Amino acid sequence: MDFIAEGFLKALHLIFSGNAEIFAIARLSLAVSLAATALAVLAGVPLGSWIAVKKFPLKKLLIALVNTGMGLPPVVAGLVVMLFLARSGPLGFLNWLYTPKGMIIAQFIIALPIITALSISAMQSVDPKFYQQVLTLGASDWQAIKVCLKEIRLTVLAAVIAGFGRLVAEVGAVMIVGGNIRHQTRMLTTATVMETQMGNFDMAIAIGLVLLTLGFIVNLALTLIQQNKVLAR
Amino acid sequence: MIKLNGLRLSVGTFNLAVDSLKIRAGEVFAIIGPNGAGKTTLLNALALLNAPSAGTLEIMGRNALAPANKLFLRRAMSVVFSQPYLTNDTVYDNVALPLKLRGQKDAAAVDEALELFKISHLKDRNAKTLSQGESHRAVLARAFVTKPRLVLLDEPFAALDERVKAAVSRDLRRVLKTSGAAVVFVTQDQGGALTLCDTLGVLVNGRILQQGEPQDIFTRPVSAEVADFVGVETILPGKVDAKQDNLCSVEAGGHTLMVVSDCEAGDSVYVCIRPEDVSVSLSPDAGGRRNNFKSKVVSVAPWGLEYKVELNCGFALRAAVTKQLVDGLGLKEGREVYASFKATALHLIKRIL
Repeated sequence: MDFIAEGFLKALHLIFSGNAEIFAIARLSLAVSLAATALAVLAGVPLGSWIAVKKFPLKKLLIALVNTGMGLPPVVAGLVVMLFLARSGPLGFLNWLYTPKGMIIAQFIIALPIITALSISAMQSVDPKFYQQVLTLGASDWQAIKVCLKEIRLTVLAAVIAGFGRLVAEVGAVMIVGGNIRHQTRMLTTATVMETQMGNFDMAIAIGLVLLTLGFIVNLALTLIQQNKVLAR
Repeated sequence: MIKLNGLRLSVGTFNLAVDSLKIRAGEVFAIIGPNGAGKTTLLNALALLNAPSAGTLEIMGRNALAPANKLFLRRAMSVVFSQPYLTNDTVYDNVALPLKLRGQKDAAAVDEALELFKISHLKDRNAKTLSQGESHRAVLARAFVTKPRLVLLDEPFAALDERVKAAVSRDLRRVLKTSGAAVVFVTQDQGGALTLCDTLGVLVNGRILQQGEPQDIFTRPVSAEVADFVGVETILPGKVDAKQDNLCSVEAGGHTLMVVSDCEAGDSVYVCIRPEDVSVSLSPDAGGRRNNFKSKVVSVAPWGLEYKVELNCGFALRAAVTKQLVDGLGLKEGREVYASFKATALHLIKRIL
């Protein structure tokens, strides 16, 4: 069992000696996952809110589909995005395969149903009469949704936390679409897989620790925002 | 202001069918009716929240059912629900919200609205920390900040206790008088309706059974359902035997009642007797009242500031009397008294079937 403790110590040394490669990987991971989360929030929150407040045929079916999407296996998302971005694929002209942009697209597709589904249920928790009251104050549909979102911002923030958590820990899609190319598309998760397979357990543990710390910091920040709002009430 | 024709609207198994309704600018129109009569459904239709399946609705000369007119009309009206729905912001921000949604900023208008409903001192408080009465005041201030041409009120004070309700509705009445807005409000409280409205509609089972001036509806209900709802407590089926000038003699409840009415001899009718029109005395002298019956007291019960006496004079008759009278006559169960009422105080409803 020595190699675990040993690996752990080496990992701490790597981190605190400021290993440039680890930090570059961490920065890329953070940037890709944050960008994908942000895009998914921009698209998913309005989309989910709209689905929640509007009446239309097959609404329940659509919600069921979105909920199913929450369990979308990242490797499947990655595979589909890769096929689209591949040189011979319909979006091949973009040359986004094996680039951070491609990884953002893949992660966006994974996060979108999560953020959308959680937004639907958050918005459905708003009393329909409250929504109607806002409409009667002279709000357009989008204005009314905005007013309601402000009321449930804490729940929406929880959706953001859930979405980011899923993305930063995700390995399948970025591996397929990014290709784990050193200095280009290597992410914390793909690097961990690679170092483990190569037997560099100290490096793997170090990267794993960075990943955990990163997730913790981002979630801590979001949670502080959320809880401060709770306490401010 | 509002013109409505042949409106049909279904919510679940409930069907609203209002054939015609007209409300003039500046008119205060009350919709009264029992629980589940469709009052709120009708109000929501006027507020453009429920889309009717048939009919026409015109508000301020525009087709209110055209989606393109929706936002314009909503911005010309205000709606107040029975529950005060406020956002998690200050009272000031809540009252300013309708202006903000219209892309306007008008601090003077907000201050004026706060002042109208006497909540200026609360403007920096979070709206979620207000008492029930204060919340209603905030909601009303928000409704009037835009100087609406049409105000829809859905049982605005149903959730308030009597004392607070009296104070808030006094302020509302004052504002309504000066605002010049047309008002449609829904209530179960007939007394409250009477103090506020110019005209009245009685909605039962999704249909407006009668509309007009309150006095007309209360004294001359067109059907037994309306009579029952507006507080006519004694309704007897009967038949007009004979008519001389305006005076009908009506066979009802085992007696012949004299009633002034335009019904004709041979008509099947309901006789409506309001409790406040029945006099109770110990002497057989009716003092010129044409109807006078020996009765037995069945029960005496307090009713608001008065007492309600249930009598048996061959049919069940209810009278509203003062406490002095109950004490003076020693009214109690089994007591023999005379019940009398004027021929002009009664009202006949012609039975269609």
